[in-house]
Amino acid sequence: MSGKKTLIQLISLLAALSLLLAACGSPAAPAAETSAPLRWSLEGINELPALDPPLAGASQSVGVISLVFEGLVRLDGGLNIAPAGAESWDVKDGGKTFIFHIRKDLKFANGDPVTAEDFAYSLNRAFAPEYANGNAGYYLSNIAGSMEVQQGSAQTISGVKVIDAQTLEIDLLNPSVYFLYQLTFPASFVVSKKAVEANPTAWTDTAYGTGPFMVKEWKHNQSITLVPNPNYWLGKPQISEIDMPFIQDPATALKMYQTGELDIMGTYNFPTDQISAVSSDPAFHQFNQFFVAYIGFNNARPPFDNVKVRQAFAKAVDKATLINKVLEAAVVEADTIIPPGMPGYNADSAKIQAFDAAGAKQLLADAGYPDGKDFPKIALSINNQDPNFPKIAAALQQMWKETLGVEVEINTEELSKFNDDLTATANDPAAAGALDFYISVWGADYPDPQNFVSQQLRTGVGNNNGHYSNAEFDALVDKADVEPNLPSRLPLYQQAETIALTEVGWLPLYYGKANLLINTKVKGLVVTPQGLFPEVDWTKVTVGK
Amino acid sequence: MAEIPTIAEQTAPARPWWMYFLRNRAATAGMVFILVALLLALAGPTVYQRLLPADQQRSRDGIFQDYESINAEASPVHWLGADYLGRDTLTRLLVAVRVSLLVAFVVEAINIGLGGLLGLLAGYFGGWVDMLISRLADMLFAFPGLLLAILISAVFGSTARELYGGTGRLLLVAAALSLVSWPLMARLIRSETLALKSRDFMLASRSLGASDFQLIARHLLPNVAWIITVAATLDVASVIVNEATLSLLGLGIEEPGASLGLMIFRAAGKIERYPLQVFIPAVMITALVLAFSFVGDGLRDAFDPRSRQSG
Amino acid sequence: MWRIISQRLLSLIFVLFSVTFLTFIVSSLAPGDPVLNMMGGRQDPVRYQFLRHMYGLDLPWYQQYFNYLGNLLSGNLGYSFKYPERPVWSLIANGVPVSMQLGLTALTVSVLLGVPAGVLSALWQNTWRDTATMTIMLALYSVPSFVIIPVLWVVDLALYRAGWPSLPVAGWGKPEQLILPVLVLAAANIGFIARLMRSSMLEVMRQDFVRTARAKGAPESIVIRRHVLRNALLPLLTVLGPATAFLVTGAFVVENLFAIPGVGYLAVQSIGQRDYPVIQATTILLALAVVVMNLVTDIGYTLADPRVRAD
Repeated sequence: MSGKKTLIQLISLLAALSLLLAACGSPAAPAAETSAPLRWSLEGINELPALDPPLAGASQSVGVISLVFEGLVRLDGGLNIAPAGAESWDVKDGGKTFIFHIRKDLKFANGDPVTAEDFAYSLNRAFAPEYANGNAGYYLSNIAGSMEVQQGSAQTISGVKVIDAQTLEIDLLNPSVYFLYQLTFPASFVVSKKAVEANPTAWTDTAYGTGPFMVKEWKHNQSITLVPNPNYWLGKPQISEIDMPFIQDPATALKMYQTGELDIMGTYNFPTDQISAVSSDPAFHQFNQFFVAYIGFNNARPPFDNVKVRQAFAKAVDKATLINKVLEAAVVEADTIIPPGMPGYNADSAKIQAFDAAGAKQLLADAGYPDGKDFPKIALSINNQDPNFPKIAAALQQMWKETLGVEVEINTEELSKFNDDLTATANDPAAAGALDFYISVWGADYPDPQNFVSQQLRTGVGNNNGHYSNAEFDALVDKADVEPNLPSRLPLYQQAETIALTEVGWLPLYYGKANLLINTKVKGLVVTPQGLFPEVDWTKVTVGK
Repeated sequence: MAEIPTIAEQTAPARPWWMYFLRNRAATAGMVFILVALLLALAGPTVYQRLLPADQQRSRDGIFQDYESINAEASPVHWLGADYLGRDTLTRLLVAVRVSLLVAFVVEAINIGLGGLLGLLAGYFGGWVDMLISRLADMLFAFPGLLLAILISAVFGSTARELYGGTGRLLLVAAALSLVSWPLMARLIRSETLALKSRDFMLASRSLGASDFQLIARHLLPNVAWIITVAATLDVASVIVNEATLSLLGLGIEEPGASLGLMIFRAAGKIERYPLQVFIPAVMITALVLAFSFVGDGLRDAFDPRSRQSG
Repeated sequence: MWRIISQRLLSLIFVLFSVTFLTFIVSSLAPGDPVLNMMGGRQDPVRYQFLRHMYGLDLPWYQQYFNYLGNLLSGNLGYSFKYPERPVWSLIANGVPVSMQLGLTALTVSVLLGVPAGVLSALWQNTWRDTATMTIMLALYSVPSFVIIPVLWVVDLALYRAGWPSLPVAGWGKPEQLILPVLVLAAANIGFIARLMRSSMLEVMRQDFVRTARAKGAPESIVIRRHVLRNALLPLLTVLGPATAFLVTGAFVVENLFAIPGVGYLAVQSIGQRDYPVIQATTILLALAVVVMNLVTDIGYTLADPRVRAD
């Protein structure tokens, strides 16, 4: 055998192999439908973290779950509570008892009927101890008897009662006005017992529920494809298919959009440093979001256990320069915890942390570190997912050095490593590996200030990663959370917010904007501060040629 | 990548090696470029800063963020413009070259010290010493390229920074990259040593009672020195690219430090609007890589009589 | 020959064994408690112990390692830390065909373009065409992929805006999405193969048997095809292994920048996420690819070269 022959054989073998693989990889031609497929990127992930509703945590998971599953109620394009699985509902006992009337003809995508039993099964399942990592406990712990199930001392939730096939009663521990909003979050969405039990480990690979779409194929680490649910209670959607590739880097997704490979991009992450390049495009949408980027502090150990140090760091920040120059005004300067547009927003809070170089220096001196002398070595931790963060961090570093004389290190981490470290900080703030301070973000789950105030900074709540604690604050929010009357709740949240801003529980940096590119041939979608919604419902959404 | 042939004959060249080297125009140009780059990287930032009056000097220190000069074009103050934070691009470029060369220097020091020494020992002593060293090299060879360096910089990056700051991070990157380099060096030196060991002059010295140390130091080392030089020079090119790749993936040099990879990474998103911010570091890294390749090739041709003819 | 192969297989097993050990050690030295991180915000000692037990982290390290090896031999790669419900195998299974398709296509392209470029350049030796070809090849070999990619993006976007045919810039699944990443990945290899091919051609053309064939009056085209090309292709076989390893290395950057869900992408992402079971599995898999490729090269070389075969 000569060398030449071997080589040629090898080349033809390689060519044949790669052709074969190419043939395997190419998708089958889509069947003719009323509307073209919708190509919609999921930015910031290389794999969908979860598709099982109780495990919904990441916004990408929430987005896909909300297309496949539905609960008792939903949010419409105007952010109002609208009927979904429940046709109507009655509120009794001053907001403590909810009676839901389940739609008679409600079916799972496979045609099986859905009854109150299915909703009860799904709620009990969401609180099962093996889903302790999920979000049910976080959103729905107000349901009477739910925590007993989560802790394993009960099998079923005492507050969830099946009256008959079409009637479900849910009893709460405390009257709540935002309970219906909490039900629009996936934790309570209805799943098919049959599907789950047929394949407990991999049922989500072909998941279906009562949502407008169902999973056709989940190519792990690559993409997920949804097709219309023929049994959707509002009718079968017209879009033939939704193709959702996972794109880690939003800049890559933007490039794909720009060369015509995507119809919608930016839902989960947008390369904010490139907004000026697309802002004149009619397909570009920008909306204020209920979203705040802020600096959180580790309140449990020096130096940030000292309120004066936190105040000095806050007053040393020239936010106007930071946002308008460094970030080229792609976002809006934030001075409050409750974002504008949210009930309870208080413009008067804006001056509490205003830039004041001399005041900042004085506060640091009062804290025992004149001109930053003997200040401990600290690092500001950021994740590398958001292109804004490295810029902000570098600018903050300079501001703190110039004004306070403090050298701050920047600790840049992968998003998931950052989240892990934040969790570790929440679990044990005194540990050596805990973060000193960090840039983090919070986006509303539902439009209620409780979600921004009580659930972020009350002593001991899950999101209070930096262990901020103030008794007066706690008393105010505890009172507000159970107050049924919205106008009387808001001043309580505003007072609490003033305390948290004065003590720098958070150092808010900017309010986010939703940046989205939606090709003009996609009709029937609206952008709200909470994401992308169909104007009326998914059956009216179409993609033109 | 380059295969370095063993010397067929140990005859003294008719002309000194540097005469051959200087006749190679590409290699000479590469050498001049490297020397100029080195000089600029070391002294450039200071001189460039001193050209301004004392009170304005910090606008060129490469770290100071002048928020009025964000993404500025070239100007009398910022000769190559300023970056997304208003930092001087020329200074950052020169500091980045300094970092590239410093990392390359540390890697090659480890590469020569560790790879060269282990290669000599393996080739000279054979037996279990050879066995041990060769298997160790085989193992590191099996890691595809950067994977081990990526893993080590990722896992220990924050620890290194916590302990020793930016320098710790830089040294960690260099140490991780040298793991990619030294096995090839060890392999080359081992095979050359094997070839030299059985040669007459070695056998003669040994029969005259020379110790192992004397044999290695007096006879082996001078004869493999040129291979070490050539291999290390050629390796610099890939070290520079690898350091940039690590920084590009966010695992190498961090802000406010400068690295060519980091400069490209930060500017890549805005390449349409500010193409120079990508092209300046990109051209620099390409030029450095080419220069070290030319010099490496030139040195090999100059030292190795056999490859000289094929030129 | 069987002796060589069996020796090789033995060392292959040893190398893979050491790779598992090294990645295991790096993973267990890494700072941070993976279980604590996995549990999220909820402190629950019972669940903590349960998860530690489930992942076998409550055992002494050597026992963990032996368990790991045992599971590995039975094909069980464990469970991902990041996606606790997903076995590592299912995460990797999707990446392997993707990376193989990318790598094999790139290899084919680099051989199909690199070999002719090298051959022609050798035939045009010392003409301007030779110089031009070799300059382009050297540039392809030297310019890092992260420099080529942004340039391609800008060009592609300009083409699309002008209404000209353009290529997908990222993603996976459609044949046309293969083109840009394959070109970038193949670029360095084309340069490498062309340079190697040229010097190997020149080497053969100087040999006695070629001179003899010419002296006997054989037409030049026959001399080239029958004698030169045949022998000059042989060294190419020896570099196909390293060339493939080169492609695997390059794939880290290319897969990440083009969002291609291959093994390189998974490896880098899992390193970023500190998902050690996935890191270990991808490392072993990639090391296996490199080692097997080298073995195949050796065997191919043995079969192709009668001198080695006789050995």
